[in-house]
Amino acid sequence: MNGRSPILQLRNLTKTFGNFTAVKDINLDITEGEFFTIVGPSGSGKTTMLRMLTGMESATSGDILLRGTRINDLPANKRPTCMVFQSLALFPHRTVGQNIEFSLKIKNIAPDVRKARALQLMDQLRLPQDYYGKSVTKCSGGERQRVALARALAYDPDILFFDEPLSAIDYKLRKTLEKELKDIHRETGKTFIYITHSLEEAMVMSDRIGVMRAGQLVQVGSPQQIYGAPETKFVSEFVGDVNVMAVRAGGAATVHAAEFNIDFVSPSVPAGFAAGHLVVRPESLRFLSAHNEAQNCLEGRLYNEYVLGSRIQYQVRVNDHVFIVEKLRQQAFTGKLDDNVLIGWDAKDSILVTD
Amino acid sequence: MSSFKQSRRNFMQNSALMAAAFATGGVAGLRPAFADRSKELNILCWEGYNSAQVLDPFRESSGATIKAESLTNDPTMINRLRAGETNVWDLINVNNPWARKKMFPEKLITPLDRAKMEPYFDKMAPAFKAPYKWAMDDSGAQLLGMAQRYGPYSFVVNTDKVSRDAAEDQGWDLWNDSANDKKYGILESDDWNVFNICCIAGFDPFKVHTDEEVAKFTETANKVFKGAKVVGDIATMNQALVSGEINFHMTGGTYSASPARADGTAAIRGITPKKGPMEGGKGGISWIEITSVVNNPDISPLAVQFLEYVQDPKVAHTVAFAEGTFNPVAQMGNPECFSLFTKEELDAIQYDSLEEEMARSVEYDIVPDYDKLLDVMTAAKRAASGG
Amino acid sequence: MTISKLLAPGTRHAIPLVLFLLVGFAAPLLAVIGFSFVPARSFSLWQNWGLGNYIEIFNSTSYLSFLWSLGLAAITVLVLAVICYPIAYGLARVFGKYSTLVTLLFTIPLFVSENVRLYGWVLFFIKNGVLLGTLKSWFGIEPESWLFTNGIIVWGMVYVYLPFMLFPMTLGVSMVPDQTRDAAFDLGATRWQVFKEVELPLSMPGIMIGFLLSFVLAVGAIAEAKVLGGQQIIPISHDIEIAFTYAQNWPLGAALSVLLMLVVGTLVLLVLRRFDLDAILGRR
Repeated sequence: MNGRSPILQLRNLTKTFGNFTAVKDINLDITEGEFFTIVGPSGSGKTTMLRMLTGMESATSGDILLRGTRINDLPANKRPTCMVFQSLALFPHRTVGQNIEFSLKIKNIAPDVRKARALQLMDQLRLPQDYYGKSVTKCSGGERQRVALARALAYDPDILFFDEPLSAIDYKLRKTLEKELKDIHRETGKTFIYITHSLEEAMVMSDRIGVMRAGQLVQVGSPQQIYGAPETKFVSEFVGDVNVMAVRAGGAATVHAAEFNIDFVSPSVPAGFAAGHLVVRPESLRFLSAHNEAQNCLEGRLYNEYVLGSRIQYQVRVNDHVFIVEKLRQQAFTGKLDDNVLIGWDAKDSILVTD
Repeated sequence: MSSFKQSRRNFMQNSALMAAAFATGGVAGLRPAFADRSKELNILCWEGYNSAQVLDPFRESSGATIKAESLTNDPTMINRLRAGETNVWDLINVNNPWARKKMFPEKLITPLDRAKMEPYFDKMAPAFKAPYKWAMDDSGAQLLGMAQRYGPYSFVVNTDKVSRDAAEDQGWDLWNDSANDKKYGILESDDWNVFNICCIAGFDPFKVHTDEEVAKFTETANKVFKGAKVVGDIATMNQALVSGEINFHMTGGTYSASPARADGTAAIRGITPKKGPMEGGKGGISWIEITSVVNNPDISPLAVQFLEYVQDPKVAHTVAFAEGTFNPVAQMGNPECFSLFTKEELDAIQYDSLEEEMARSVEYDIVPDYDKLLDVMTAAKRAASGG
Repeated sequence: MTISKLLAPGTRHAIPLVLFLLVGFAAPLLAVIGFSFVPARSFSLWQNWGLGNYIEIFNSTSYLSFLWSLGLAAITVLVLAVICYPIAYGLARVFGKYSTLVTLLFTIPLFVSENVRLYGWVLFFIKNGVLLGTLKSWFGIEPESWLFTNGIIVWGMVYVYLPFMLFPMTLGVSMVPDQTRDAAFDLGATRWQVFKEVELPLSMPGIMIGFLLSFVLAVGAIAEAKVLGGQQIIPISHDIEIAFTYAQNWPLGAALSVLLMLVVGTLVLLVLRRFDLDAILGRR
């Protein structure tokens, strides 16, 4: 992927509705062939941004460049991009075949050519060929997903957008479809831009992830970077259960947590970091039998435990502060509830984030 | 289901008629043999007798429940009795010939007590002196009903457009002049329309017609309906006359023109032609309503009382000016009644020319081959559809 | 054995409704059908039944009235379709909070009797009336009056039956999911193609109901031709009325009614077969 040129560039992209700024000053380059996911909670502006990128909403200011050409004023039906909708927006009065061929019919392509292309896409997306004449309303959820994707692919877009198409699907099928989608991405080599509120979903599929909050992109990076090196408390918490402690800068490699009146050892404190949060992932915490078994240590009380299948979470309370410790099932902790326990972590697992 | 909705309107009408037919039969069957009808009176009548002005005082004095249904067509009312409604109605108010020629021979009505009722005729205008022809049966022995409202009924013109003299002189030929196409209307009143088309065609309506006459009638009906600007009810005719949409309309007279005249449009005037194809060269047709007691096996004692009530000079004046239509009444022959009419009221009913117009008119009669002519006329109306 | 043991509870509880329907719906219908077979100008059902009335109708010019009624209804429905679609589109998608107001504007006249409203139009269109009188006094022009013409009948019918087209149509348009529009547009369709390929077919159920409702009502229309048209056209329902009143020929009126039901019923069935609502909705 490296060395490839950007296909889509956003420059100071902004969208306001009256006094409300839905999307604020976005600058982003998306590389040709990339699977880029925008993650954010509802109301973070991700759908508005997507609608601007597809041409269904006009930008208030800023530029959208497609391969260097400004496309702000190009309507959706003239843009070489296509979207898979959250509701899928299949045409209920049409068959599977007619849905897939829609864009080809619009372009006045001969019926037999259309049909050949539709059948080829159905094959690629593992839709049985005899579904061609079936009404889409008779298809299952997963089949409808595939029809929607086939319909978008038939348009042969330069960029495919996805607006949380998997959000209404049950967990197991969603997991299957996530992987399938990533396979399709590989097979087609097209640029996919995906939005979701689930970072978990984003991490499975994406080359890069952009986290949105209140209309702004707060962090852009690979799944590993987003997970392992969140830059803000918001991003760290977005990934899942984390232990967060308010801290301020101490020594060269220590931070002070006023709540516990302890200096924690951490990787080098960035220049300019005065106050922020120390984040420790639940799987980085472990139970200790002695203070010196880890670089940082706290005393608390085992309050509760939750079995999550392959993993078990323990709730440990230090004063009133709740910590979550996570262990693999095979390495379950043997302590009893209300036991006094020691928990700790190493400096390398300390993550310093700003607000 | 949906196919029913389509003709909802027709169905409403049809089923109402059917329901009425069934209901009356049913009610009669269920009614106890000796029901007390002393506080109940049902009147089948032309517009006017059903007005609150006429009925309310009688309701108060008798304490009775009075139902009056108004129809604007004699054959319809009589067919209601024929269809078995004689055990519903107590009084029937229709035009002159029906009592002696149809209803009495068909035993739909019963005679009145001559000694009790004839003195009322003696107080009426001279033409109604007892024994009054239309109130008597063919033998002249039985009194069949009471007279009250009457009037000439030929056609109506806006005298600002066609002078009274010209209209009276030209008479029914107004409709034979193609220059008048789309300048006239037709008041929808199918039996009277049949009479008038006969007059326009140049023969007497009140007789059996030859094939040639029927052919002429067909031709005339087609022509007259084709040339009509509007066919409609009294309100529509008066409005069309006042606004200038039409200059005159067929079928009409005091009964239809009086509301507009009372409203201040004196230019609208009922016209009786000076000559025409009827007996004695007469060109006009008049009507006299006769109110009879229905041959109801369980007749209300209030029926005769009501007939006497409307003879009272004050009530007769009220009947003359009941809502909707204003008409001369026979009781105007009684000075006690006449003095109740104001000058404006006399103007509205064209009292100035009433006598001469009645003299120039033959009295409404039954057309023996009415059904045939009506079918021809209905077809003509349909054929004229779309102008 | 009692009735309660013979019949399932559902059936038993449906009895009053069934009786009500029989009395209120089937009885008059059967009476009309029955009357259509008795001799002309008679008033009793129980006599020699025959096809005389129907033969008479087929030998008469009644077909003219049928054609006028069907023709006027067809024109009315077409005019309504053209007028109502943009309004329905506006109500469903554009007017927003003003939709209620617009809906009220179209609904309120329904609370006034049809005849009163038609007479209102007479006063508006009549010579020296609201329209022509104003033109005359303000601009000195005096065009021919439109009253009592064929055109004004269509005007009246369009006016009277507008809500019956508009509201089902609005429902139809609002049934089109927004995202299907966006999707079609996004897939390269022009505005016209979006309309033709997506909006029109998806709002078809509402449009068809509007078509059927207004057509069926318009075929039975009588007041517009009578009041505004000055009987310049005699629609079939007027023929039926004449048969039942002036002509006192109930059997003929009944036969005409039965024929009207048959004609309209057949047309509706044909349309419903052609445009299966379930298929349009994608339920099959």
